[in-house]
Formats: sequence, C-alpha cells, structure tokens
Amino acid sequence: MKYLTVILAIAALTATSATARIKMVALPERADTDIRLDNPTVTLIEEERVLTLQQGLNQVDFSWNGVSIDADSIRLQVIDHPDSVTLLNVSYPPNEQALVWEISSAEAVQETVRISYLLYNIDRLVTYKLVADKNETQVDFKSHLVLRNFSGEDFENARVLLDYGEAFERGIQHEETKQLLFLSPGEIAVEKVWTFDAAALPWDPEYVGGNVGIPVSYVIKNTKANGLGEFALNGGKARVYQDDGRGGTIVLGEDNTQPVPVGEAMKIYIGDSRDITVVQKKMNDKQINIRRNNDGKIVLHDTDELITATIENFKDTPARLTLIQHIDGQWDMEACNMEYTLDDASTLKFEIELAANSKQEFSMHYHRRNIRP
Amino acid sequence: MKRTATILVTAALCGAAQAKVDLVTIPTRDTVQLTIYNSADMTLVREQRDLTLKEGDNKLQFSWENTLIDPTSLEMIPKANADRIDIQDLVYPPRVNNLGLWNVNSRISGKSPVEISYLTSGLSWRAFYMGTLSPDETSLRLQGYVRVTNNSGEDYENAQVRLIVGQVHLIDQIAQLAQQQPPYGRPGEITLDYYSYDSGAIERPKMKLSKPSSRIVKSIALDEAPKEIVKEGLSEYFLYTIEGTETIPNTWSKRLPSFDVSEIPVKNLYKYEEDRYGMQTRRFLSFTNDTDHALGETPIPGGAMKVYRSTGENEHLAYEGQSNFKYIPVGEKVELDLGGVQDVIVEPKLMKVATGNFRFNNEGNVSGWDTTYDFRIEVRNTRNVPVKVEIKRNFHTPYWTLEKAGDFGTFEKDDSDTVKFTLELPAESVKTFTYTLTTRLGENRF
Repeated sequence: MKYLTVILAIAALTATSATARIKMVALPERADTDIRLDNPTVTLIEEERVLTLQQGLNQVDFSWNGVSIDADSIRLQVIDHPDSVTLLNVSYPPNEQALVWEISSAEAVQETVRISYLLYNIDRLVTYKLVADKNETQVDFKSHLVLRNFSGEDFENARVLLDYGEAFERGIQHEETKQLLFLSPGEIAVEKVWTFDAAALPWDPEYVGGNVGIPVSYVIKNTKANGLGEFALNGGKARVYQDDGRGGTIVLGEDNTQPVPVGEAMKIYIGDSRDITVVQKKMNDKQINIRRNNDGKIVLHDTDELITATIENFKDTPARLTLIQHIDGQWDMEACNMEYTLDDASTLKFEIELAANSKQEFSMHYHRRNIRP
Repeated sequence: MKRTATILVTAALCGAAQAKVDLVTIPTRDTVQLTIYNSADMTLVREQRDLTLKEGDNKLQFSWENTLIDPTSLEMIPKANADRIDIQDLVYPPRVNNLGLWNVNSRISGKSPVEISYLTSGLSWRAFYMGTLSPDETSLRLQGYVRVTNNSGEDYENAQVRLIVGQVHLIDQIAQLAQQQPPYGRPGEITLDYYSYDSGAIERPKMKLSKPSSRIVKSIALDEAPKEIVKEGLSEYFLYTIEGTETIPNTWSKRLPSFDVSEIPVKNLYKYEEDRYGMQTRRFLSFTNDTDHALGETPIPGGAMKVYRSTGENEHLAYEGQSNFKYIPVGEKVELDLGGVQDVIVEPKLMKVATGNFRFNNEGNVSGWDTTYDFRIEVRNTRNVPVKVEIKRNFHTPYWTLEKAGDFGTFEKDDSDTVKFTLELPAESVKTFTYTLTTRLGENRF
C-alpha cells in the first residue's frame, strides 16, 4: 500500500506538461526514516534516500498519490556533498500529487538526500493505566503510546520520536494502530481528595431523591521526587484500577487528563463517594443597613447571611474534604467556625479533616456589602 | 456461543488477515472472573490462559467478533516468568475488525500462564429487596437479592462473579467503544465523549438467543444451600464476591440472595409538607443502617423494595407499597418512601388573617405592613399502631416570627423560611396545636 514514490530521471525536463516528463531509471529505496510526533497536531516525516546522480542536471520526481502530505511542506536536503550538489528548482506538474526537483551535480555521485514533509492522519495518543494499592497511597503508573497511521503510507521500519523520552524503532502500516508501553516508572505516590463545591452540587440530598456523590480525585505530582518529573506528561485517557488484595483488580474510574508540565500535578476524577455526605442550608438571608434616597427608596444595603452544613464521614477511614464556598461581590466574614483560604475574591476553600465515622458542623455567618438593588 | 478466541501463531502477520499462518494452539480459558458494575454498563473480565510459547518472537491473536468488548482495554500480563516474557506491543492490524495481535518475545519455551483482561459491556446487575413488617409494624424483615444479567454476546462458564456498588466516573461508554472501528478512531476524529453520547442512537449487535442449557438447569438443581456473598470495601466502592463460580450463558439472568435480616426495629414516619407533597400525608419507614438495627455491616446498594405486612393470620401478607432505595452507607438513616396515605391525616386550617403595622411613604402610599396568620393544625392517627409525624411549614420569606401553642411536639427551624414540627401519636389518637405566623412585608422587612 505504498503510494509515495521517488523516481530519479536522467534527462532534463523541457516541457511544463506532465506528459513531457521522462522515464524512470531508478527507484531509490527509503533508507533511514524518522517519524516525529512531537507536535500535537501535525507529524513530520524525515526520510533519507540515496540518489545516483549524473554529472549535470538531474530530475527527481516525488509523488504522493493517496497520501495526506502538505505539498508546501516538502523539503529536500543534500547530505553528503552540499557544496557540489545543488537543488535548482521545484516544479509541480498539473493535476498530480507530485513535484519534480531539478538537481545539479558537479560529478556523477551517489548522494544521500533527506526528504521531509508534513504528513497528516498519522499521530499518537497517550493513555495511562494506574493501579492503586489497597491503601490508595501509591499507584503503579504506566503510560502507553498508541500510534495511529491512516496517512495512506506504510512505514516498514522507522525511528519514532516524541517530545520526550528516547526514540524507538517501529514499523507501522497504513490503517494500523499499535499500542506499546512507553513509560513505566513503577510505584509513585498519590493523594486522594474529596471535593464538595457548593456551586456545583445540590445542597440538600433529601430534595434530590437519591444520593449526592462527592467527587473523588487522585492527584499525582509530576516531580522527580515522585519518580516522574523528567518531562511534561501529555494529556490522555487515564484508567485507574485498584489492587483488590486477592491478586486481582477492580476499575476505580477513568478521566481525560490535561497536559501536566514538570512540577505540576495530574488530577484524575475517578468517581463519586456516597460515604461522605454534605447537607448544606441557608439559615438566614436578610437585608440590613438599609440606605434610602430622598424619595425613601432603597439605594444601598448589606445582607446578613448564615450558611450551615452538616458533614458526615460514614467511612471507617479518615478523609480530607475540600469544601468550596462562594460569596460574590464585597463581603465581610462575621463568624466562621473553620479556617479557609481564598482561591479568589469570591471563592473560599476549606480543608476539612474528617475522622473515620465522624460528623462535623460547619457554619459561616457573613455580610455582603453595599449592594445596589 | 463462545466468541472470543485466542490463537497463538508462530510466523509474522504480514498486514492482511489472510496472511496469518501456522496455527499452533488455541489455549482454552482456564479461569474467568467477572467484576460487574451497576452504576455503568461495564464489566472487568480477567481470564487465565496457559500459553505454549517458543523461544523468540511469538504472535498471539485475540479476536472478539459479536461481543461488546472495548478493544482499548485489552491487556495481557504474564503470571509467571515475567522477566523472560516481553510483551512488545499490541497491534490492531489494518483492514481487520475485532482482532488484536500481541507481539511477544519469549526467552523460554513451553507453557506459561498469562492473564488477559478487558472491559466489556452487556453484563449488568441490580439489587432489589423485599421487606416484611411485623403485625404491629415495629420491626421489619429485610431480604436483599441481586439479579445478574448477561447480554454481552459471550457465554461465561464457571466464572467467579463479583459485583461492584459505587459511582464510577467514565469518559466513554464501553458499548460505544466496543463498536468503534478502528479501536482508537482515526487521527482528527472527535473522540468519544460521555456527555455527548446519545444512548438511543447506538444500536447494539443483535444477539442470537441460545438454547437453554441443561448444564445450567442441573447446576441450579444441585445447589443445596444459598450461596454466601462476601462483602468488602475498596476505595469508594463495595465489592460483593459470590461464593464459588457461576455459569451465565448469553441472554440469561440469575437471581441470588444477598442478605436476610429479621427483627430490624423500624419507625412509622409520616411527613407533611405542602411544597413537596401537596396536601397529602406521605408514609415512610425509618431505620438506620447500624448494629442497633441488626444491620451496619455493609452499605445497602440502591434498588427497588416491595414492602409487605404480616397480618398475623397463618402468615398471610398484605402489600403496603413500593419504595426506591438509594445507596445507604453504614451508619446512615434510611427513609423508605411508601407513598401517599389516607389513614394519617394532617389538616392545617387557617383560622384568622389580620394585617397591621402599616407604614406610609411621602406620597401617602402603603410602603410596609405585617400580615398575621393564625393556623390550627390537627393531626389524626386513625391507625392501630403508634406513628411519628413530621410537619414542615414553608413561609416563602425569611422575615417572619412565630408564636406557637398546644401540643406541637418538638420544634426546629429547618432553614431560613421553613420550620419543622415533630409529633409522636399513639394508636388511634388526635393532637392539635396552633401557631401564629407574622410575616413582615415591604418596608417593614427592615
């Protein structure tokens, strides 16, 4: 299924029509080939071929019928004798997926040239498989590379390069998909986090009629201390399993991860916990500090608001819940029974340590200021 | 009807399906384990097979025609000689569907066990319950069942069956991945997305109905005692492992008892809240999933429950209603909603309305006032068992005050505009209480 051909001709191209092109005399085989997959959108192919050049003008016909090549991206580089072998011009025959290089050579010579081009419909995906231990503090981290070639071109053997890691040799046929283990740093540390965002989840499960799951995520730091940190991790589908302690595994969940630069953390949302519950209520919401205009109309006021939440951990293990609350505009905290940090002006983050089988009451009494109706 | 096949070949696959040569062995599946989820159409299958490898390069072909296997989940792990068996890659050959080919380099020759695992769609399970109240309705016998159904296209014989309770997060539907050709799609295609998935648009492969297997009937008949189900927590999930093995042919279901607990103390709880239930009282059965209630060992998976009452006459039963269980963690209170009733009546009556405390603006118009409502609430228990009644009153404003009188039981503010009265009523009794609600409107709010 090889559609891409290079034909070396011995006589000069004298006419502009395709029919005027002369006969093939040699079909140089592809030698070293690089498939560069370091760009997330387009793949660069670099292939070397040895041309048997005559003294004087030579023409090399390069055609790619049925192969998804960007014609403007095709380049030819002379490797062995750059001083005596010169690319003079490039011609495109009409109505064909082809071009003709006109090459001048000072003498008859075997010349290695490197042809490079952008090839579409060939790419790579990255997937992750994580197997957590029973305590969920470590994961066996593996990353697979999935090569997909639907470009129209077969590659019998090529050097495959990514934006990280070492290059490796692989062939891949047209319409073939190959999955191979690429990264296997072994056991690395993981943190399990539970997050209740008051803007995203129902406040009172009783009114939902079913369970309100608290999203659970695994957080993995891309650092050298954690066995990673050599390069940014590509985004991809991550499937998380857990060792069941009996020689098998269960699936915990899957997520699409974002690219993770070195030093940052990969967050994988695996599922929802129904063993931690948050029942949140607004116990007070009144207007105070009313200010009026001369007609007696209210032009400015504050609010007096009280939010409470009952947080229960029904698990027999401790957990850390990140509780996220939102207060818009200008506000003052009157009283709050738990410490928080500000994510931004209106987002409050509470890190709450929940003991096994425990219950905590959360209370936040605040005023929003200078509200204009 | 076994449709997955594993074939070991010794020569190279040359790109086309017809190039497969030199069939050596077809290793049979030695053991199989199914881990079936109920929150998603997904089952993890783990098979053990003994491969006969030769030194050097081996190719192992795995095909799954007419099944619902997600090819991107396929994995093979050597269970012995792992340092001498190198699984180099998994190839999905061009122009061939439902087939994967592992390239394996071995430094040993002979038999070696491997585990092949994958995710499949089409196997499911659900929990359901039967509850039987004692004649005085103070205790409940709760019987739990699970029903496992196989529509995967594959027969699973002598499989260890495990059931997972929990809310798993998936990006793609396994059923959709099973139909995707090629397995990882093509470059530039929009990848599958859980949220854009229209389940109605996907047509599953038609499954042929298999003949009833005499072997299945026999195995059921030979079971002398109900199988035990071992329960354990893993991460945010609960894993139920059914004792022994099960054979579940394609298109068959199996019902298995999960637990049977008697003498669970329960309360008859009745709720009245006009904003939620209208003018009708609703009946709930209340208990807690803890040891005080003869439970509390494991969470109770969500499912439908039919509630009966023993009439006390020759163990005859009366049907009381049906409720849908939500997942109940250990330690959490359960409230089973049995629907609207006529025999416990909550009758609020507005006895008086008055307005006052008028405020006027500069133009002489009314700008603020108070409205006062006198309510009389009569609660009648016409049943011959004691009941607990929760009455919520919604005021639709946070600007209110309340004065109450009579036998109003316990009282609490539920949220900024709702209060809750809780009364205990003996059998065939009536309680009455009153409250005066004052709401402040307009400028009187401030």
